[in-house]
Amino acid sequence: MAKADTSPDHHAMNQLIIALFIGALPHFVYQPFWVGLAFMVMIGWRLLHSYRGWPLPAASRWLKILHNGTAALMIVLIFGQFGLTIGRDAGAALLTIMLAFKVVEIRSLRDFYLSCYLGFFLVITNFFYSQSMLMVALMLLVVVLLTGCLIGVNSESSAMPLKRRLKLSTQMVLQAIPVMLILFVLFPRISGPIWGLPQDASTATTSTMPEQITLGEMPSQTGTTGMSEAIQMGKISQLIQSDEIAFRVEFENDVLPPASARYWRGPVLWQTNGTVWSPLPKSERSQATPQIGVRGSAYQYTMTLEPHNKRWLFALDIPTEKPAVIPAYLTSDAELHSQKRIKNRAQYTLESHTDYQLNAGGDPNLWAALQLPEGQHPRTRQLASDWIQQSQGPEQYIDRVLSFFNQENFVYTLTPPVLQGDTVDQFLFESREGFCEHYAASFTILMRAAEIPARIVTGYQGGEVNPVDNVLTVRQRDAHAWSEVWLPERGWVRIDPTSAVSSQRVEQGMADILPADRTSPRLIAQNDALVQVWRDLRNNWNAINTAWDIWIVGYGPQIQKTFLSRLGMDNPDWRKMAVILTLLLALTGIVMLLLSYYRRAHPDPAVRLYTIFCQKLARLGLNKGEHEGPLDFAVRAQNELPQYQHQIAAITRLYSELRYRHPSDALLSELETQIKQFQPRQ
Amino acid sequence: MAQTQLDAILASINNVILGKQHPIKLALTCLLARGHLLIEDLPGVGKTTLAHTIASTLGLTFQRIQFTSDMLPADIIGVSVYERDSGRFGFHPGPVFTQLILADEVNRASPRTQSALLEAMEEQQVTVEGTTHTLSSPFFVIATQNPANQIGTFPLPESQLDRFLMRIELGYPDAKAERALLLGQDRRQLLRELQAVVSVEDLQTLQEQVTDIHVSNALVDYVQRILSHTRDSGHYHSGLSPRAGLGLLRAGQAWAMLEGRDHVLPEDIQAVLPSIVSHRLQRRDEDSPEDWIDQLIRQVAIP
Repeated sequence: MAKADTSPDHHAMNQLIIALFIGALPHFVYQPFWVGLAFMVMIGWRLLHSYRGWPLPAASRWLKILHNGTAALMIVLIFGQFGLTIGRDAGAALLTIMLAFKVVEIRSLRDFYLSCYLGFFLVITNFFYSQSMLMVALMLLVVVLLTGCLIGVNSESSAMPLKRRLKLSTQMVLQAIPVMLILFVLFPRISGPIWGLPQDASTATTSTMPEQITLGEMPSQTGTTGMSEAIQMGKISQLIQSDEIAFRVEFENDVLPPASARYWRGPVLWQTNGTVWSPLPKSERSQATPQIGVRGSAYQYTMTLEPHNKRWLFALDIPTEKPAVIPAYLTSDAELHSQKRIKNRAQYTLESHTDYQLNAGGDPNLWAALQLPEGQHPRTRQLASDWIQQSQGPEQYIDRVLSFFNQENFVYTLTPPVLQGDTVDQFLFESREGFCEHYAASFTILMRAAEIPARIVTGYQGGEVNPVDNVLTVRQRDAHAWSEVWLPERGWVRIDPTSAVSSQRVEQGMADILPADRTSPRLIAQNDALVQVWRDLRNNWNAINTAWDIWIVGYGPQIQKTFLSRLGMDNPDWRKMAVILTLLLALTGIVMLLLSYYRRAHPDPAVRLYTIFCQKLARLGLNKGEHEGPLDFAVRAQNELPQYQHQIAAITRLYSELRYRHPSDALLSELETQIKQFQPRQ
Repeated sequence: MAQTQLDAILASINNVILGKQHPIKLALTCLLARGHLLIEDLPGVGKTTLAHTIASTLGLTFQRIQFTSDMLPADIIGVSVYERDSGRFGFHPGPVFTQLILADEVNRASPRTQSALLEAMEEQQVTVEGTTHTLSSPFFVIATQNPANQIGTFPLPESQLDRFLMRIELGYPDAKAERALLLGQDRRQLLRELQAVVSVEDLQTLQEQVTDIHVSNALVDYVQRILSHTRDSGHYHSGLSPRAGLGLLRAGQAWAMLEGRDHVLPEDIQAVLPSIVSHRLQRRDEDSPEDWIDQLIRQVAIP
């Protein structure tokens, strides 16, 4: 015979079920549908037991077999779905499902505790998927509810009302905040995602700047499979679809460059086969450091780069100082590279000049800037040789090309027709509808055909400044490609052929090009006032999100280092942090001990409430003597304030019952309301 | 049920003893708390009448012992006498074998005789020549004592005083009560006509119910504060004994019951405190004012 069921009453069970349900809710989205389904079925079984008296697994052997068998089936399903490596997904799915199976099994207080504690683990798994404010708020709610469950089964009088239980658990959670803050700030950070599995890390971001750009159809022979294909197929126009944040920039003293000068340099592309543009391989390129001459004042700014699993660090034009916290170097084509792949949000401070000269004295890689695909683009080459003969010097030639883009019926569009065959010829002479990558590529070909060294630079252009915190947010949709030509004496000069076609793109930024419903909901877009309100709301929300992402979610080894050195801790290493952490935790412990000692003077909530009552009377000059009993004081107060004699009598009766007879939560809350309502006036 | 009985008892006693509600209530408290009572006052203020009235109202067997300086312990406890018929010693119980004893002018007897009574009070039994005889139950002693400044008395020593749960004073009646007394019926006549309001069993039930009156932790804290104040404040030669503390709590319970409550409040403790501590505490400062017990109450904060 099975042991007797000693599980808590169904009120406690319901609260636990609600807490676990909210905790598991995000997994219904993150995990395969059957995980959520199994969870709901099991929870439903327990609820049917509570409300309809359905038997639990312990009731009969067959139900036990059904329960355990389903659990075993679930484990098999998990292996089937996720394979034999227990990673983030498999672990979270296993915990979610097994928790629901445990809830059906609860037959004692011990089981109840176990489910509560597993619930806290469930809370943690959710942060493997999202660390947004919303998730934190939701999980805080779950923590409060679970703590309330624990209070419920532990409170001396089990009839503690739900409201008071939740209030108490909220207080307890709030009391944990100082310790949480200390741990958060000082606990030594490990670089890399905690779960550290390769397939998880690579899915951390969905869109990144491609390493190559491709015009038109991909030549079939280069087709490979899987992830790398997606990268090779990279087109900036695909990136435009994404509103994901690429990086955020905070300028020192809020001095921002004008919108048209916000070019964030990324990978530089040299080589082309007519369709695909790619960087110069390391083995072929000169490793000489670039020669940089600057004029005017510099911009100081802090970049917060979202992880993209690549090495390049974006910078405003040419950075003249390397970041202090990330080991990085400047390549010969003035790309800023990190030593390691950026797998976590990275924060670094840079200095840049927008008025600069790059390799004005000559560039050892110039030969690569003249490379043309063998036997391709005949019409383009013909056009170039015609124009260069008519022009006096390269500057005039460049102007000629730009006015060609500007005056002929070229269209800037996000959805250009698919190019086949000779992409550049087809674009320049037939389709004439394209996107920044088309303009940059065909311009560069036109330059090279005229013996002017040229290359494509990819990166981002523009960005959105939030008026609330003056943070410039650059999203994937701000991705851009432009050209650089090398001119004697002047070095590499940036030419953006897209601006010749659509000056709006460069001056106003991408947000203006996009259809209105990309930036605000369609219904609102009709009304200007509403649009303004929407924008303000969004700006504030973005500012909060920025702070959250940078300071809370992005608080990794680098930011910790920066933050701690700003706090005056030189060269913080984990030993120092451990010492300070221990000291602070000890200090917190002492403070809490002292606090609890201090509070011991009035451990009785009834006394605390009654003190409020006495304070209200004291304002009218009725002071209760320390030796005066509640009844004596009540008699005195009733003589002074006969109009309140009933209230005084009721409060005194409640207080003396609570204090000297039997503490009860119902009476306590009644006393609380009575004292709240008691507003004596002379 | 209990409340109506208690009200009836009080009404009955107050009907005979006029204008003495508070001392009467204290006396009843003492009885309900199973303590012994010491009444200290001048002759003729109604000590004997009070004792008699209580006995009659509660239906208790009553014995009065007038203490004199030549009294011997055997006069109280009883003696073993050789009985010719049976040829052995038989015990002849003394006046102590009754439910309510009025020990009148207890300070007139020699200390030896006094202690015989007091030991009987404490043990609820007497031992004569090796045989133990249990006293009747309930057993309640009301001792009266004339103020010590009268000639030819042996004031009870402090250690003996501790055996009385309460000490009360009756005092002169006020003018209105005295007038009613003078104009009213003869007290002896009234006493003779007095009927028992409750039975002995009822009284014992009431005494048991006293222990059920709830004492909260908060109240125990208060009692402890009072005890430690008497010990640590330096105002008194010696502080209250643990027995006094227990008595204070028990008397507080009985008082709360008389007040119609099922739990003890600090007010109950304060109400019984003077009668419990006045004969136990000796002030260091002999010139301290009359209301020193009120001061004691004021000096201890209610937690």
